[in-house]
Amino acid sequence: MEENNLQCSSVVDGNFEEVPRETVIQFKPPLYRQRYQFVKNLVEQHEPKKVADLGCGDTSLLRLLKVNPCIELLVGVDINEDKLRWRGDTLAPFLGDFLKPRDLNLTITLYHGSVVERDSRLLGFDLITCIELIEHLDSGDLARFPEVVFGYLSPSMIVISTPNSEFNPLFPSVTFRDSDHKFEWTRMEFQTWALYVANRYDYSVEFTGVGEPPAGAENVGYCTQIGIFRKNGGKAMESCVSEQYDQHVYKAVFTTSYPSLQQERFFKLVLVNEVSQQVESLRVSHLPRQKKQDGEWGDKPKDSKAPCPCFGPVFTEVEKAKIENSPKPFCVGDKFFVPLQRLLAYPKLNRLCANEEMMRSVIADSIPLSSDGSAVVSDLRDYFDEQF
Amino acid sequence: PPSVDLSNNEASSGNGFVGTSRISTNDKYGISSCDAGSTFMERDVKNKRDFMDLDVCTREKLAHVRDCKTGSSGIPVKLVTNLFNLDFPQDWQLYQYHVTYLPDLASRRLRIALLYGHSKLSDKAKAFDGVMLFLSQKLEEKVTELSSETRRGETVKMTITLKRELPSSSPMCIQVFNIIFRKILKKLSMYQIGRNFYNPSEPMEIPQHKLSLWPGFAISVSYFESKLLFSADVSYKVLRNETVLEFMTALCHRTGLSCFTQTCEKQLIGLVVLTRYNNRTYRIDDIDWSVRPTHTFQKRDGTEITYVDYYKQQYDITISDLNQPMLVSLLRRKRDDNSEAQLAHLIPELCFLTGLTEQAASDFQLMKAVAEKTRLSPSGRQQRLAGLVDNLQRNTNARFELETWGLHFGSQISLTGRVVPSEKILMQDHICQPASAADWSKDIRTCKILSAQSLNTWLILCSDRTEYVANSFLNCLRRVGDSMGFTVDYPKIIKLQENPAAFVRAVQRHVGPDAQLTAYYDSIKKYLSLDYPVPSQCVLARTLNKQGMMMSIATKIAMQMTCKLGGELWAVEIPLKSLMVVGIDVCKDALSKDVMVVGCVASVNPGITRWFSRCILQRTTTDVADCLKVFMTGALNKWYKYNHDLPARIIVYRAGVGDGQLRTLIEYEVPQLLSSVAESSSNASSRLSVIVVRKRCMPRFFTEMNRTVQNPPLGTVVDSEATRHEWYDFYLISQVAGRGTVSPTYYNVIYDDNGLKPDHMQRLTFKLCHLYYNWPGLISVPAPCQYAHKLTFLVAQSIHKEPSLELANFLFYL
Repeated sequence: MEENNLQCSSVVDGNFEEVPRETVIQFKPPLYRQRYQFVKNLVEQHEPKKVADLGCGDTSLLRLLKVNPCIELLVGVDINEDKLRWRGDTLAPFLGDFLKPRDLNLTITLYHGSVVERDSRLLGFDLITCIELIEHLDSGDLARFPEVVFGYLSPSMIVISTPNSEFNPLFPSVTFRDSDHKFEWTRMEFQTWALYVANRYDYSVEFTGVGEPPAGAENVGYCTQIGIFRKNGGKAMESCVSEQYDQHVYKAVFTTSYPSLQQERFFKLVLVNEVSQQVESLRVSHLPRQKKQDGEWGDKPKDSKAPCPCFGPVFTEVEKAKIENSPKPFCVGDKFFVPLQRLLAYPKLNRLCANEEMMRSVIADSIPLSSDGSAVVSDLRDYFDEQF
Repeated sequence: PPSVDLSNNEASSGNGFVGTSRISTNDKYGISSCDAGSTFMERDVKNKRDFMDLDVCTREKLAHVRDCKTGSSGIPVKLVTNLFNLDFPQDWQLYQYHVTYLPDLASRRLRIALLYGHSKLSDKAKAFDGVMLFLSQKLEEKVTELSSETRRGETVKMTITLKRELPSSSPMCIQVFNIIFRKILKKLSMYQIGRNFYNPSEPMEIPQHKLSLWPGFAISVSYFESKLLFSADVSYKVLRNETVLEFMTALCHRTGLSCFTQTCEKQLIGLVVLTRYNNRTYRIDDIDWSVRPTHTFQKRDGTEITYVDYYKQQYDITISDLNQPMLVSLLRRKRDDNSEAQLAHLIPELCFLTGLTEQAASDFQLMKAVAEKTRLSPSGRQQRLAGLVDNLQRNTNARFELETWGLHFGSQISLTGRVVPSEKILMQDHICQPASAADWSKDIRTCKILSAQSLNTWLILCSDRTEYVANSFLNCLRRVGDSMGFTVDYPKIIKLQENPAAFVRAVQRHVGPDAQLTAYYDSIKKYLSLDYPVPSQCVLARTLNKQGMMMSIATKIAMQMTCKLGGELWAVEIPLKSLMVVGIDVCKDALSKDVMVVGCVASVNPGITRWFSRCILQRTTTDVADCLKVFMTGALNKWYKYNHDLPARIIVYRAGVGDGQLRTLIEYEVPQLLSSVAESSSNASSRLSVIVVRKRCMPRFFTEMNRTVQNPPLGTVVDSEATRHEWYDFYLISQVAGRGTVSPTYYNVIYDDNGLKPDHMQRLTFKLCHLYYNWPGLISVPAPCQYAHKLTFLVAQSIHKEPSLELANFLFYL
């Protein structure tokens, strides 16, 4: 099995806590994974469409989030252009995404830029995450940070994580967790800052964290403290986005678009495939079994030791009834007909296609239809039947 | 010596690699079982094999072509190629460094990250595999010490030591060029699958066969006659629009449960699948019917997890079918680190089938549909190449990469070929100059063939249903036979039930000691080739039912039947007296993949119209060489029997050679052939030449005409620029490609005692392309190769055993 070797990449990406030094506390799963999982859970819960990760580093979080079906725009921002360039390719669609496209469009863009600069392309987001970011900002940048992220970008939700310095005495080294950290806050310091910012920009904030302290040291709190900020009054105002001046200060380093069912070409591909597969399966089950007539093979193997593979879709009672009640496939001569209505009764196809008209128009030039267009026609026997 | 994969070449070249035509079949559909998406150095074995061939320098041993290997006859023709100049400064060099870490780091990713992150190297073009670093600019010091800090605060010292300075022509350098271009094509949003690059966002669909085709390119950088060239050809990746699970479900419906597992394994094992959650491809080596997605496996960290949970956690994929079995793939280790091969279990639901099953490949309609989609005219091909080049030159990322290496993508190469004179076809009483060398069936319609045995005692077996067609076919056959000089007497017609068993029973009952025979293919062929060697001809009733085609079909069948009885159809003028030509082809048996089917065909008369054919089944490469000796001895005996002397010259055309096998050929096969020749004569022995024939090669040639490009004329020879300096090689175009682009056939003379002038060697080869009796026209390879191919194909597909030697004097396999 391919196991992403995240652990070693984490060493260079500032997630040092999980790399044991001498007798260090070890988190399981590793702390950086816990942070990402936290964001991922949040995304699953709130289903944001547009998500940005500020200080995205090696884009690990973006890679984790891109599989989420609800996200349509995913943006990463970092000041390290090399890393974005180098890792960007890993965010491109997999080959499999072209064969089994997503439901919704997804665009992923990586920008080179600083989080304290305003770029209008990040306006109107549903979620902006700043995971282990603020402690890398010097005091000037830290002062400008709320103004840009909360005041200007003003997304519906902001997640900020930062080390909890109260936890540090449990680590062997007494200094900051990373040589680039400008500060590490206690819970009180972080919460004071967060409440002030929330108050100022009309957000509400809730505190939590990941990385449980070991038994006996519960009072130090989570190793990573997290603030979840929600904009009072709900959604980001999309209307005001267009009124703002376009301000493009970030440099787009990498951008990729995913194939999806929203794109005609891929929708057609998937629908035509599903239809021909369903027709094929109906056709085959319609064929008389020649081999039974020979009598040599018998009906079913008596050998119970042989694992009996039985797969294929499993339908609920409701689905079964729906299929039963739809027009049945039929034969005329050596032609086999499957009414489109029948096809629409199958959940997979029903999910793709709302009605017969739509199905007809999409598949018409790829799959032969009956003269009145109400059914798919195929030869009752094909090349492969002769092979078995 | 450095420890990069490349340096292991010498070590691995000795391991005889078995399995040649398999690879070429795969290539046709762009399939390869290596991983996509991995970084540079660690390329697949196949790539290494290419480079292995480059080590073999045969031309320096051939005195008569050491100075000049080009011919001179024919009309010069200007040709455009699919090769492009790569321009770089004259003194361009590649610097190879070795990098060590202190403390030593095991993780390749970390090693790469630290090196790439260092400011000293950040603006330099580099290729690095964790150990070996290649730069196009020399570092100031021979040994550079850098230190980098992991974010964890640990200081790591990196020592970069200069190992070698490589000129642009060195094999290592060529490999790095290939790596650079792979990187660049990825920047053009193309995906590497196997060795080629594809663009999945512009698929072409063949819905009726549930196939998608991804357009793409095969690219490579190699050192040709005098310089480094970039070559590109259009390639398509065939994908099935279904997951393995869907395929299995459909198959289960068809076969029923009883023979499902067996059929399923037969269909799937050996195919390459693409997984949904990464860009990797895997070869299916087995199916484990006992493991389900709900079972657990051990992760690298030792914990147990179910497949279902694993895919959920790792890729956020929910497996819906919990009853599916597991596909098993043997992971090929990319780096030779002595660890045992690992098995990967793959979920059928998450795997897409690539390429075609054998069954699909045998479906004529399907293959026709694929061919129609993928066929490209010369101008269409040229347009696609231009598109790629345009993309390479315009895309900023691609250009940036090239420029940092100091490279510049140059112009398309044009060169001059020669069209050798056309050949006259010698019939019994007529010499004809065909209007087109592509097809002279019309030209010879009224001519008598060279010689024919008359068909006296024979049977037609047919079903009741087809009796009428069989009769009208018989009439036609007699008529056309008469005009070509082939006497066909009335046969005994036997009507049968339509099933294989009945046919074979009838054959067994009716074929007397001296009957010859006409009319389920495999079983009949098997019986009549092995147990009871009698020439036979199978005809599908469907073929005979084609309206208005009866006469031409009868003509074709009459010719085939003549050959099967030992007749000769036509000849060309062969200026060399006492020349034996030999064709050898090798392919794998369709049933048992570890068996190699070796087909050998040798001419036994100076006119090159009669042949001695044998097919031998072998298991290893050295055995192949051994059986060539057995064959050659037999062929020379035959020649002696007919001509009362040994041939003065022997020219062997060897097809079915895989990448990286040249050395094996030179070290094993050529010596065996030589010893069989030496042993058959006490005094002066025949002089031998061995030519490797390849139908698949990278270069394409077009002629420019009226501002558009076209296929070059038949008989075009290219023996400069697109050839390799260290080889005595040439390209010959001897086939027509209707609406598509013609592929030249590549000839590499690896051994040559005959000392024929290159001109004569080329023209002789061209002449031999006229002598395939199954087609009244030119073919892409010399006739003995095609005969050998046809023979191995029949044995590999239908017979699976060595055909009876009694048939060796007849072209029974046509």
